[in-house]
Amino acid sequence: MILDGKLSARVAEIDLLNPTLKRFRFVPENGGAFPTSPPGAHVLVTLQGPDRVWQNAYSLVTPPDQRDHYAIIVRRVPDSRGGSHFLHDRLKTGDAVALSAPASLFPIASLARKHILIAGGIGLTPFLSYRPVLALRGAAYELHQFCAPDEVETFRALIGADAAGVHVHGVGRGERPDLAALLADQPLGTHVYTCGPQGLMDAVEETARGLGWTPHAIHRESFGGDKGGVPFMVTLARSGRSIAVGASQTLLEALEGEGIEAPCLCRGGACGVCLLPLVEGIPDHRDHVLSEAEKAEGRLIATCVSRARSGTLVLDF
Amino acid sequence: MSDQSIKSRPVYQSLAMDLSGLRHLLVSDSPAYRFEAPPDREVEVWFVAAPDQEGRIPPSGTVRERGFRSPRHLIDRLDHRLAQERMGLRLYVSGTEGFLWDVFNTAQRAGMTRQEIFQCQSGTQARRVACVHCRTFNHGVTTTIVRCDGCGANLFVRDHFSRRLSAFMGVKIDAEVAGEVPPAEQAYS
Repeated sequence: MILDGKLSARVAEIDLLNPTLKRFRFVPENGGAFPTSPPGAHVLVTLQGPDRVWQNAYSLVTPPDQRDHYAIIVRRVPDSRGGSHFLHDRLKTGDAVALSAPASLFPIASLARKHILIAGGIGLTPFLSYRPVLALRGAAYELHQFCAPDEVETFRALIGADAAGVHVHGVGRGERPDLAALLADQPLGTHVYTCGPQGLMDAVEETARGLGWTPHAIHRESFGGDKGGVPFMVTLARSGRSIAVGASQTLLEALEGEGIEAPCLCRGGACGVCLLPLVEGIPDHRDHVLSEAEKAEGRLIATCVSRARSGTLVLDF
Repeated sequence: MSDQSIKSRPVYQSLAMDLSGLRHLLVSDSPAYRFEAPPDREVEVWFVAAPDQEGRIPPSGTVRERGFRSPRHLIDRLDHRLAQERMGLRLYVSGTEGFLWDVFNTAQRAGMTRQEIFQCQSGTQARRVACVHCRTFNHGVTTTIVRCDGCGANLFVRDHFSRRLSAFMGVKIDAEVAGEVPPAEQAYS
């Protein structure tokens, strides 16, 4: 089922998990229940700041059948684009928030015989909703959480330490996780899922490919990444409007800031819902949707992550 | 009276080694398979060979080859083998269409994805036809219309191929007017 429109919610509880991690629990505004969410789902949280609006995607950490509340965990990032600061510093219990219906672009492979989940830092979040589903299915799985040594205890507490198949690895500065040891000698039908910093996800993919795994058996969540860049102008051909896209703002956010309802779903360059036709200008493609040929052709742009190499882009919108 | 435009009809190519794999296993329902591998890569070959007069399978040329007395025999051993296999395997299948998908389904049950399995049709084009009325499999069908071994219905052999059943669909041709059965034509050999 595709749900249109926003879910009205209220902040029911905020837990400080460690100095930079907070868990936010949301309950439906008028009682009742939220929709059932698929494992690995995310929601877009609309944050109404004093002078701007953010729509940020966060993975749900609640089990799929948890309908009386949803929870997300957010890290306060020093040089974020402001969303995590707002959540950490401004949002209070009782505040109203608007959530999108949950969507999953990171599903569990139903034909897999074994699942290996590899998370880096707060990239753990989608796997928190995987675990109850995998457990219910009686599926074989391993969860490997990599984090800074001083966060090992936080993550152990979050996952439920000492559960079978769960490993929390502290990685010191300059150290590299031994991914080959994790992925070598796995039974046929094993799938690997990874979420975390770009470098870790790239390393997981490269290690798995080197061991003869095919792309179908490698799954990565594509949130975050570097969304900022050089400011540029965008012109909308149909209305003739020109809008400035700031250095810490995405093209999509700039459109939304002007009250324009542009399509979007994942806000991470993964789903392709936000693609708009490009009439003029040189795009800086940063999405995972368009093929190399389509990127070279330059006739479509994913507004949620991609930017401009030329000073101005003209969109047929 | 053929419906050749069915899009789900599988298209096969010739086999080439996928160099991203670490180990390679070719299975064939006949000793006469064709496979080109770079000289520095090893391929293990399993094939079906007719037993000699004393019931023995002819000895194979190298340790990397192994003969089986029937497709069923090969697939049973393959099932056992894949249960112990590790990631990095590539499976190449050469043979009749029914064999290709029997092997595919065995491999998929073992967790292999279609990116790890390569199929090439060879040998007879005769079809395995599943009767939609009584579910009997009719083997070695070479005509456009066939009388079902199970229920006796005159079946029109459609191009609709089921990868799950490894068989073509056969539907009663005289369902509208009983007994109105056009002459069968030789279509596959």
